[in-house]
Amino acid sequence: MAYTFQFGQAFIHLPYLLGGALLSLEIAFIAFWGGTVLGLFGAYTLVYGSRLLRSIVQGYVTFFTNTPAVVQIFFLFYALPEAGIMLSSFTAVTLGLVLNSAAYLADIQRAGFLSVRQTELDAAETLGMSRLQMLRYVIVPHIARTIYPPLSSFFIWLVLGSSIGALYGVEELTGRALNIATSNLRTIEIFLVVGGIYIVMTLAASLSLGLVGRHVFRVRGGLLR
Amino acid sequence: MPHLAIDGLNASYKNLKVLHDICLDVERSEVVSLIGPSGSGKSTLLRTLVGVNKPTSGKVTLAQRTLDYSSASSLKQARDSMAIVFQQYNLFQNMTVIGNVTIAPLKIKKWQRAEVEEHAHSLLQKVGLGHKLKAYPDELSGGQQQRVAIARALALKPQLLLLDEITSALDPELVGEVLDIIRGLARDGMTMLIVSHEMGFVREVSSRVVMMDQGRIVEIGTPQQIFDAPKETRTRDFTARVLSH
Ligand SMILES: Nc1ncnc2c1ncn2[C@@H]1O[C@H](COP(=O)(O)OP(=O)(O)O)[C@@H](O)[C@H]1O
Ligand SMILES: [Mg+2]
Repeated sequence: MAYTFQFGQAFIHLPYLLGGALLSLEIAFIAFWGGTVLGLFGAYTLVYGSRLLRSIVQGYVTFFTNTPAVVQIFFLFYALPEAGIMLSSFTAVTLGLVLNSAAYLADIQRAGFLSVRQTELDAAETLGMSRLQMLRYVIVPHIARTIYPPLSSFFIWLVLGSSIGALYGVEELTGRALNIATSNLRTIEIFLVVGGIYIVMTLAASLSLGLVGRHVFRVRGGLLR
Repeated sequence: MPHLAIDGLNASYKNLKVLHDICLDVERSEVVSLIGPSGSGKSTLLRTLVGVNKPTSGKVTLAQRTLDYSSASSLKQARDSMAIVFQQYNLFQNMTVIGNVTIAPLKIKKWQRAEVEEHAHSLLQKVGLGHKLKAYPDELSGGQQQRVAIARALALKPQLLLLDEITSALDPELVGEVLDIIRGLARDGMTMLIVSHEMGFVREVSSRVVMMDQGRIVEIGTPQQIFDAPKETRTRDFTARVLSH
């Protein structure tokens, strides 16, 4: 018996699904900025910190980049309540992704710090720049430009990675898709539509990130060549 | 009084004493070249003059002003009057050509934008890059980058220009275009202290040549004296070695 597609069954749920997509973006956004800020401190410590602080941060990075995010969130969600700390599923998932991203983003930003060339700093110094002027005109722009492409890819990875929330009952895009599919059983249609929404989100994100990168940071590549 | 007077300058890296009692006078509009084997302290001398390395003792006077290397603020004054171009390309990668040339006069000196830009344009014209104002360093050849670096150094209207092997990292076919710029500057009367391995060029452009070895000045003379009739054995050995290449 041939399968008859009934996309109508999926499309009537579009507003509900788009609401989930918004939540997915929200999770990705919080995880990204939380991870970036934490990761910045981590990166600074990895490059300039004392030996002790360095090994603590390095341990953190090693742990979080070598265990699955699912397991980390599982721990926050099921183990912490044993210690009296109750987290909602949204908080557990978002916090887990923040902690996980911080590890990856510390590594990325560390590479940015290391990429500043001593020769440029020498030039800045002999032109008479103060420490602060060097930071503002040479170091920060250089780091921003160097790490922009990996940061963009990481954000896109997070948009997709937020679907991990479905495992814990967070009603982001994938979670909502599962809700509908279990009630109307049009699983194929629902997930084709959901796949389409993910594609639109990531394309929109890479296009806009690419445009910003190209015009602000002179980064080439990605979707825009 | 000479334009630049270096008197008893000493410098070290940690415990390694690298410059011993350097004394050298340079007149206004004079071009003096430093030659000598690798590791003899030529770069260190230039880097110490601009204060990237701190001298351990000695006195430097430029345009009647004694330079004070003791603090960051006094260093700034010293750097007001001299500029250096290094061997490695070191333009700011995140700025355009015109941005590289104008940043110091605009942001450090806070000079008038209109004047700064006009001056920068004429400098870039002079180094043959008037058509590359909006290009970024990574879009330029090594020779072009070094020419921008020269323009950037000149933008602060230095009284003394220090050049440390600025053609050594270039492909051979690009060396000429950079040397031409230096010849032009020499003709215009820029006072320069040059480290170079291009002996033909050194001979042609220098009023005097300084031979260095092991952190000491071995001999100072006109190019003819140094290359054709050196007094010191070390000078004779060195020039014989480099000229035979
Ligand atoms: N950053 C540094 N740290 C320690 N020693 C250095 C450093 N730079 C140069 N030296 C040493 O100082 C001496 C002079 O070097 P340099 O001034 O670079 O010579 P040149 O430019 O004539 O080749 C050499 O013995 C070199 O090994
Ligand atoms: Mg050298």
